[in-house]
Amino acid sequence: MPSVFTPSTQTELARFVAGNAAGSRQRLRPIGGRTTLSANVANSEEICEIRLGDLKSLVDYPARDMTVTVEAGMTVAELQSILQKEKQRLPVDFAQATRATIGGAVAMNASGPRRAGHGSLRDYLIGVSAVDAQGRLFHGGGRVVKNVAGYDLCKLAIGSRGTLAILTQFTFKLRPLPEAEGLIWTTFDTFAEIENVLERLLVSAARPVAVEVLTPPAAAVIANAAHASLPIDRPVLVIGVEGTESTVMWQIEQLRREMVPFGVQDLQTCTSEAASPVWSALTEFQTPADDPITFQANLRPSRAMEFLTLAHAAGVLAQCHAANGLIVGHIPAEPGGGTPPLGTLTKLREFARTAGGNLTVRHADENLSSRIDWLGDPEPSATLMRQLKKKLDPHELLNPTWFDGAGK
Amino acid sequence: MGPSDGRPVTAHVRGPSLRDETETASVMMTAHEITRASASVPVGLLQELRGILSAAAVVDEPQRLVVYECDGFVVEKNMPDVVVFPESTEEVAAVVRACNRHNVPFLPRGAGTSLAGGCLPVGGGIMIALTRMKAIHEINLRDRYAVVDPGLVNVHLTQKLKGSGYHYAPDPSSQGACTLGGNFATNSGGPHTLKYGVTVNHVLGAEVVLANGDVVMLGGPTEDIPGYDLTGLFVGSEGTLGICTRLWVRLTRDPAAYRTMLAVFETVDDATVAISEIIGAGIVPAALEMMDQGIIEAVEAAFHFGFPLDAGAVLLMEVDGLELEVDAEATRMESICTACGAREVRRANSPEERLKLWKCRKQAFGAIGRLSPSYCTQDGVVPRTKLPQILQHIQDVSRRYDVRIVNVFHAGDGNIHPILLFDERDPDQVERVLAASDEILSRCIDLGGSVTGEHGIGVEKINFMSRLFSPDDLAVMGLIHDCYNPEGRLSPGKMLPVLAGCGNEHMPRRVPGRKAAL
Repeated sequence: MPSVFTPSTQTELARFVAGNAAGSRQRLRPIGGRTTLSANVANSEEICEIRLGDLKSLVDYPARDMTVTVEAGMTVAELQSILQKEKQRLPVDFAQATRATIGGAVAMNASGPRRAGHGSLRDYLIGVSAVDAQGRLFHGGGRVVKNVAGYDLCKLAIGSRGTLAILTQFTFKLRPLPEAEGLIWTTFDTFAEIENVLERLLVSAARPVAVEVLTPPAAAVIANAAHASLPIDRPVLVIGVEGTESTVMWQIEQLRREMVPFGVQDLQTCTSEAASPVWSALTEFQTPADDPITFQANLRPSRAMEFLTLAHAAGVLAQCHAANGLIVGHIPAEPGGGTPPLGTLTKLREFARTAGGNLTVRHADENLSSRIDWLGDPEPSATLMRQLKKKLDPHELLNPTWFDGAGK
Repeated sequence: MGPSDGRPVTAHVRGPSLRDETETASVMMTAHEITRASASVPVGLLQELRGILSAAAVVDEPQRLVVYECDGFVVEKNMPDVVVFPESTEEVAAVVRACNRHNVPFLPRGAGTSLAGGCLPVGGGIMIALTRMKAIHEINLRDRYAVVDPGLVNVHLTQKLKGSGYHYAPDPSSQGACTLGGNFATNSGGPHTLKYGVTVNHVLGAEVVLANGDVVMLGGPTEDIPGYDLTGLFVGSEGTLGICTRLWVRLTRDPAAYRTMLAVFETVDDATVAISEIIGAGIVPAALEMMDQGIIEAVEAAFHFGFPLDAGAVLLMEVDGLELEVDAEATRMESICTACGAREVRRANSPEERLKLWKCRKQAFGAIGRLSPSYCTQDGVVPRTKLPQILQHIQDVSRRYDVRIVNVFHAGDGNIHPILLFDERDPDQVERVLAASDEILSRCIDLGGSVTGEHGIGVEKINFMSRLFSPDDLAVMGLIHDCYNPEGRLSPGKMLPVLAGCGNEHMPRRVPGRKAAL
């Protein structure tokens, strides 16, 4: 069993980390809600878990300034419920909100379907506090929505996976909750046909906040999770809109008219209460379930439908945030429970490369862990990233194995 | 104390010692000596530069260098020793390597429209002007990005995209002159960043020449590349981490419809309360700008829009979205303004009228020449509900220091731009302007804000850093600086104050801007 430290204040954490740096130099792993901890960081006797669950205060919520400051261990669900009371939100979708912490979400750069319309955490995080490997509690940014003083440490925190510092507190800018939302769920014969629609959407009169494309088995999982009777026998395109009741209805009608000439096979709309379980199923799909491998690919949006065609042919359950070129895929086990085809991973990764992107593994069953290349192709800036890691954490104390394709 | 009264000055900036290798850490120099400190660069370096670039692309005649002695922050000036005009990434990299070989500092410059001394050549050295690299390499509407050179003028991209249904969102007031590379370095804002975000929200990737001359690609046309967001780190680093030689920028869909309004208030107080109420009501306008009476007067004299000269303040407001919704949103904002005491709210009746309104706003700074021989613009930020307090404070400071202050700013972001009017030939006025600026920015910090929303720290506000940030915060930023700019030859003296024990030497500086930040 790894040792555990559960700080009750940020200062206490800083003291502990400073003591560790000066003393035994145990390796440290920050832990939030354990929703994205995968085999990618091998369990080790030497690692000390820093459990941030008790650092969960609402530090400041001046609702009329539309900013909020919270500690890292607060769950996403709790934050959203606090904001909801003021008819506000952080418009980024997070899976497993009741368990996932804000700190974990930032460390993993979590997002979901609404990023087409609202962007991702880097568009909302305006202040950050963290403890570095030497035990220094530092901060970057501030609590105002516009601020260019100093290096933008917020950007470094996002997606840093606990490797640069232990994130302890965040300030976000917020947006008003929309009055209404709606979805159009459509099916097409091929992904190539969907690509035609996506091109048409680039100049749509509507302004969708979500553009999701699903392989049929992924659509089945989502429809099932939403307890919704939706067509799932062909490639699926789901478009989400938000606004007032009237703008939602107007946009849905507009989108319907724009899409019909492109070969829609089936079209259903979900508004008000009917929409919300579908939204949340679209958000939850990224969570690894029984499938042995879950990956994320990032491509030029124009190449995503080709990727989905390839993925679907290989039996992958895939969801694409089509406006952003991000794809989450679950690779199922061979029939009878055999090892999943690692060749599929290689093939998809090769395609991602030709499409100007990359593919990283988000989850893999323990028995596969050592046989998988987690991080994909090194980015051109990988050397600079490693330099930074070394500068900020010279003794490699923070999530040490992750960065170099952990698990190997 | 004026700039040339001969009293000793101690300089504290991050960076290498320049030409005086014997200089000690506790050097004290007179302002007169500092002026003289700009000696020539090593002959060998000059020869190398002339080998790398064409003869016309290497400028070292003093009368031509004067143009490059400062940016829009005119309080502090120093000439570079040489200005070079590379036309390719390879040339930039070769210049950087040559500077390193000769241990001479260097810094990039775009159009020089920055307002905090970001491209002031501290201690001289080689200035790399990127204005000849101004191509648009690719516009890809399907994948919603453009690939551009750093010297491309912001508005030229906007013009190129006209009619495509897409635009590049950040629109600094200086967009007719400022370059996208400069926007990258300073993380520029603009009126429409209230809804659409600042430069960093629209940069996907960049090719940069590092301080050692290596060329590296950060990010690129795809989102969420695995690993650290170095693009996000380099944007707004004020040229201290690398020189951007090509950018991949996000293109944004044009709004379907917009409504532009002008609300007229009797007093600044009423107008700022209206701003707080609009934001507090959960409205996200596309832009929300305030101009007070002093600015209205200057703008009206310059552009004859028909602004009421007796108004205390006007709000320039814009909402955008679907045609179906903009009227309702505009009406909500109008009612809030009326409830807060607006005596009139007008809507721009045509696209031409809208453009003229925006022209008045964006060229307001140019109109200030009508009010005073010199001016100093500050760039504080406060939480938006604190706007009435900071504006009252500014009025109070104006009275106490007997300095006329006019205001034109991004109200919706809480980003104030008090403009202090003075005559730089009068040392007493200079002194009062600096003290008044200091008091306003200090109050911004006290109210939970920042000393810069979009202009940057540069050299102007470097001494505010230790008031905004703790020694630990600055130590971490120092590590990042040293990670990519270990010798400190790239953009010395910018953004980060010198830290004890970092082995940085002191560098001669000119005087008054330093005091602006004390």
